[in-house]
Amino acid sequence: MRRRFSVLLAVALLAAGCGSDEPSTSTPGQPDKISAGVIAIVDVAPIYLGKQKGFFSQRNIDLTLSTSQGGAAIVPGVVSGQFQIGFSNMTSLLLGASKGLPIKIVSNGVASTGAAGKDYSGVVVKADSPVRTAADLAGRRVSVNTLQNIGDTTVRASVRKAGGDPKAVKFVELAFPDMPAALQAGRVDAIWVVEPFLSAATTAGGRVVASNYVDTAPDLTVAAYFTSKQLATSNPDLVKRFTEAMAQSLSYAEAHPDEVRQVLGTYTQISPEVAAKLTLPKWPAEINRQSVQTLADLAVGDGLIEKAPDINALLP
Amino acid sequence: MTRGPGRAGRVLLGALGLIGFGVLLEVAPRLGLVPAAYAPPTSRIAGALADQTRRPEFWEALADTLRTWLTGLAVAVAAGLVVGVVVGAVPLLRAATASTIEFLRPIPSVALIPLAVLLYGSGVRATLLLVVYASFWQVLVQVLHGVADVDPVARDTARSYRLGRLARIRFLVWPTALPYAVTGVRLAASVALVLAITGELVIGTPGLGKEIAIAQTSNAVPAMYALVVVTGLLGVTANVATRAAERRVLAWHPAIRAEVPA
Repeated sequence: MRRRFSVLLAVALLAAGCGSDEPSTSTPGQPDKISAGVIAIVDVAPIYLGKQKGFFSQRNIDLTLSTSQGGAAIVPGVVSGQFQIGFSNMTSLLLGASKGLPIKIVSNGVASTGAAGKDYSGVVVKADSPVRTAADLAGRRVSVNTLQNIGDTTVRASVRKAGGDPKAVKFVELAFPDMPAALQAGRVDAIWVVEPFLSAATTAGGRVVASNYVDTAPDLTVAAYFTSKQLATSNPDLVKRFTEAMAQSLSYAEAHPDEVRQVLGTYTQISPEVAAKLTLPKWPAEINRQSVQTLADLAVGDGLIEKAPDINALLP
Repeated sequence: MTRGPGRAGRVLLGALGLIGFGVLLEVAPRLGLVPAAYAPPTSRIAGALADQTRRPEFWEALADTLRTWLTGLAVAVAAGLVVGVVVGAVPLLRAATASTIEFLRPIPSVALIPLAVLLYGSGVRATLLLVVYASFWQVLVQVLHGVADVDPVARDTARSYRLGRLARIRFLVWPTALPYAVTGVRLAASVALVLAITGELVIGTPGLGKEIAIAQTSNAVPAMYALVVVTGLLGVTANVATRAAERRVLAWHPAIRAEVPA
């Protein structure tokens, strides 16, 4: 709900033309300030780690990270200039771009591990569920955190790939934290969860029947960092330095999983015991353009948008 | 008035009630009445609370919430008092605004979240808007009632003595309206706290509400309840503080005097 409202809000902001705060232009001798809107989840660990390691400050960027509630809630913030950089899942960005929002992706965010059954995202059923494969999800109630977004389109892709009828899946909107309890109480038949809820659900006896990100595309790019078109054209040098710092942060995170597990404790409340065990996503520096195309095709196919946006204009 | 337990007795009973509630929350998950994974027993929440107090982020969040709450409350109280006295003292103005106030007052502050975010993004001003909007009416309506409650005989007496406008406000309207205003402030204090936490939870402005949201997305269930307990304790503290202030400010008032045993 909140996400859909945020997209509406973004459109309203645009319509009102109230890009209130102009992005800061460079002041000589001062580091450039960047305020980035992120979500307090595992996915954004590299940017926190990169900030800690000084990858941004050594490129003369004074990075401030503020956490928002949802990925699409950040989009209006970037469009209005409250944030210079935002983090959002790829489907939300495609939806925004197709609605004409002036956004430009500047860096990869997070990607699937590409290994079925060993991803950081999955569809979980109760241990005694009659559902054995993704195809059995047809006719079942499956919870996703936001309807008409990356959750339901990728779960449908899993069902399609397994030979089931994707149109027969009944999606229910629930917040991730509420899903394991809803599954246990039998209010839904399956839940789509990401870490840390995925390991919580499997520890509680749940069974993974589909790795929806893996089934959608090999090494799916799930989310990305983006800026406003305005900043991308007015200060390309700053955006370039951010992209470089981000690439270094992503590679560093990819190479140092132990430090990633440690940095989680600085911006989330994930306990060290849980952090030690959860499945980390992949953080390649490059966006998998083919997988973005796949997500756009799915969004059109599932009726989220009528026409795919110009992907080359959206991607860096 | 019925004769209740004394002051010490009330405190004791209140404490017993809280302990009883704590024991209930400890026992229910342990007996399996509610799943312990989603409703952890009191002892685990207490442990999580102790962990929270060791995090600097917790104290920052607490300070942020207190700041938002008190700022919003101060603005609402000041505006409510001024507008209330002015509107209440001018019958024409009162008649002209009565229906508008009754229309605006019941609008839930939460319904204004989209507007607040549109105007102020996810910054602290968005939450302040909610806090001020919700608590302003509590003060205003009480002050309006208070100003209207001036004793006719006292008013006629003041007129007979030809008290000026300021003198009438000082010696007639103010003492009459004060008990109402203080009640308004007490109500506003708890409403402002609720809205401060709500704004942080939903909009994501820094504070305890945001920490609750982060604990939720981190699947840190005991930590989330620990933070909820902190907001509850804040509410109790607010109530105790405003009641103490009430007793002090209204020490002369018969309703307060009657509470003190002779």
